[in-house]
Amino acid sequence: MTAAHVEPLARAAGNRLPRAPRKWQSKALLAVFVAYVVGVVWSWTYIDMTLLTLFGGFTELWNLVVDMVPPNVDNMRVVLKATVETIWMALIGTTACVVLSIPLAFMAARNTTPNPVVFAVARAIITLTRALPTLVLAAVLTLPLGIGPLPGLLALAIHSIGMVGKLFTEAVENTEAMSREAVTSTGAGKWQTVLATLVPQVTPSFIGTALYRLDINLRESAVLGFVGAGGVGFVVQQHLRSLDYQRAIAAVGVIFVVITLIEVVSTRLRASIIGDHLSSPTKKTPRTMARERRDHRLLVDAVTTRRLTPPWTYERLVRASAGVIYLVLIVVAFATIDIPYLSALGLGDEVIDSFGRLFPPDFTTAGPELWQGIRETVAIGFIATTLGLVISVPLGILSARNIVVNRFVYGTTRLFMLALRGLPELIVAVLFVAAMGLGPVPGTLALTVGTATFMAKLIGDALEEVSPEPREAVFATGASRAQEFVTSVIPQALPNLVSQTLYMLDVNLRSSTVLGIIGGGGIGFLLLSALRVLQEPTVGAIVIVIFVIVYSIELIGTFVRWLVE
Amino acid sequence: MTTVLSGGADPLISLTGVSKRFPNGTLALDNVSMTVPKGQLLSLIGLSGSGKSTLMRHLNGLHKPTAGTVQVFGVEVSSASNKQLRSVRRNVGFVFQQFGLVGRATCLENVLSGALGRLRGPRYGVWSYPRTLRREAFDHLERVGLAPQAYQRADTLSGGQMQRVAIARTLMQQPRLLLADEPVASLDPESSAQVLELLLKVATEDKMTVIVTLHQVELALGWAHRIVGLRDGRVVLDQDARGLSQTDVMEVYRRVDRESELLATPNMSAAAPTTERQRA
Ligand SMILES: Nc1ncnc2c1ncn2[C@@H]1O[C@H](COP(=O)(O)OP(=O)(O)O)[C@@H](O)[C@H]1O
Ligand SMILES: [Mg+2]
Repeated sequence: MTAAHVEPLARAAGNRLPRAPRKWQSKALLAVFVAYVVGVVWSWTYIDMTLLTLFGGFTELWNLVVDMVPPNVDNMRVVLKATVETIWMALIGTTACVVLSIPLAFMAARNTTPNPVVFAVARAIITLTRALPTLVLAAVLTLPLGIGPLPGLLALAIHSIGMVGKLFTEAVENTEAMSREAVTSTGAGKWQTVLATLVPQVTPSFIGTALYRLDINLRESAVLGFVGAGGVGFVVQQHLRSLDYQRAIAAVGVIFVVITLIEVVSTRLRASIIGDHLSSPTKKTPRTMARERRDHRLLVDAVTTRRLTPPWTYERLVRASAGVIYLVLIVVAFATIDIPYLSALGLGDEVIDSFGRLFPPDFTTAGPELWQGIRETVAIGFIATTLGLVISVPLGILSARNIVVNRFVYGTTRLFMLALRGLPELIVAVLFVAAMGLGPVPGTLALTVGTATFMAKLIGDALEEVSPEPREAVFATGASRAQEFVTSVIPQALPNLVSQTLYMLDVNLRSSTVLGIIGGGGIGFLLLSALRVLQEPTVGAIVIVIFVIVYSIELIGTFVRWLVE
Repeated sequence: MTTVLSGGADPLISLTGVSKRFPNGTLALDNVSMTVPKGQLLSLIGLSGSGKSTLMRHLNGLHKPTAGTVQVFGVEVSSASNKQLRSVRRNVGFVFQQFGLVGRATCLENVLSGALGRLRGPRYGVWSYPRTLRREAFDHLERVGLAPQAYQRADTLSGGQMQRVAIARTLMQQPRLLLADEPVASLDPESSAQVLELLLKVATEDKMTVIVTLHQVELALGWAHRIVGLRDGRVVLDQDARGLSQTDVMEVYRRVDRESELLATPNMSAAAPTTERQRA
């Protein structure tokens, strides 16, 4: 029986051999790997982070934890009010982004674009909006718009277009063309056809993407207060500045709970929308069975009496109520958020003026510091990724159900990781800075923690998903558990691990451009000081530098991913 | 015989010297000329890749010819404005091999989309169509035997059922001309026979002119008025079905080694032009 398992696998592996990458590609891949190693070594010497500082960091963190206990909740009203504002900002920002992304996607999709010029412009907008981190955008927008949620939600809306627009475009391009051709053949007009055939196909994935982005924007929204762009981040920062750690941790706790709750809700919603039916056929409880009977009856009634409107099946009811709830929420958000709508209407000119003052950018005033900031930013990204990866491997293995037999170890590791991932990494970073003081080390550690928990989750999941057959096969030959693990589990998971590492490097380099805003090292610090003293041309220069860094990372990332595939 | 082949004073369709070269260089149609009179049932046969689908797509303007002209209902499809093209398409039903249904939409919605050509403005969902049209869509679903599935998603149906929904969508157009491109090629033999029977039944009941590509030669012979054979984009057979034997038809399916021979014997390839010239 085991031989039967091994054979097809060996053949499958053999079949893959002829598809080996061409020579120059594997050379390029090797070059990328060498560049990565060189980058790590150089970064390590640059930041000068010894293992000692690392462990010193842990004692300082422990001291902070001690200072935070017990949390002080007497300021809850303010915290909750700011948290609600955070949620409204995320909701409005995401909604605005979706509204802008829908036409952009149809213009940027190869199969629906009206002409090549529109295509190029739409693609450019989608790519460029992604290249300025939300926090940077929000910080710059506070110049013309002042302190408050308006710059924050605008920044969320604009930056999200990058991801949402891209995923929407892919959804449009992934639709099948047959129904479109068929409906065109009936004499329907172009937009009639798009609405009748493409929109039903893309709606689930549009909604899924929007919900996913809402999660991300909620996390981003929680830290916008660090630059005065509204939300609960401001409260956390105030308490930390006044060394009121017990109140600070109470606010952080609220953020954690809210983010986790909304993530749970949106994940379930997403699963039910993307999944073809709300109830999965595998778990038929009496309730779902009753529900199905009712639906069936409704459907039969509807067709026998020839009702001209679709019947209210469970699925339709759920969708309609979700829609109504969303509408109510967005109306409440617009009505209660602290935005002076009337005066905001006149701020358009001010925004244009203020962006005009960023030009021509002044690279000389901050010259040497600018250069140092860039290097520090890159170094933080490399170290955090590598260190995070190193830590994530044991963490991930501990959290995989099928590797570790001990349920207690499995449970606690997963719980620990869940707790850490529940917080936006800039919140973690601001706590680390509070514990260890300003500088690149706390920032690096915060990103390291983020990377480690993220990768550990991936590793854990990947290990759980690895197909059981080859393991059984090796087991049967009498291999020990460790041998078995090395020979069969690792090779299966490796390619995915490599691409995820690249992804994390990308994410961390982006994050490290803004870490400085909260004192965590890197170029963000310069941005904040230039903003404080209103050196607008220098702000312009820094924004351009950040833009270039992020954009190059994206280009390199795309190239390397292309090499790997 | 001649009346059936080329019809009365105004043919519904007339192609003159139609050639189509795709951007990649493939010559899919090579100087095709033919006319189709009102009410004719025409079966198009030929090997896969011989240009049958391309020919059909020219008839409702999905493709534009590289040379020659295509006239349908007296409209010059090859140079028609968008508006003219839409009005031609409104009267041409097209049934595809792959059905072309929106899987996530209900059957009723799919059928209703056949009415879009008659309506102004975009529509989304059953609600957005007038009640009279919804009633009509129900009737058509009933006619193809799928009224019980009206509110079911199209992708929950079997292949044969899907094609029947597609036929109902076509009925919604009340077309004068029906084009069916291998309508049963992706169905199992049993539903294939059912669907084909339904298609031909509604087409004759509603007095449509029909062009259908079929691989079932005996079926084509039994049912069609006229058989047109294509090979490499050229018309190599164009005859009244009655006078035709199965072996004659099978000639069209012969491989290329017979081609020179075929071209040399005029009784096949020159059949239609001769009759036409005789008439004139
Ligand atoms: N959109 C297209 N682009 C390029 N070549 C095409 C296209 N459509 C069809 N062809 C080619 O034109 C020829 C005729 O195709 P088609 O009309 O689909 O044949 P049939 O329907 O008889 O099988 C084939 O060689 C096919 O590869
Ligand atoms: Mg074809």
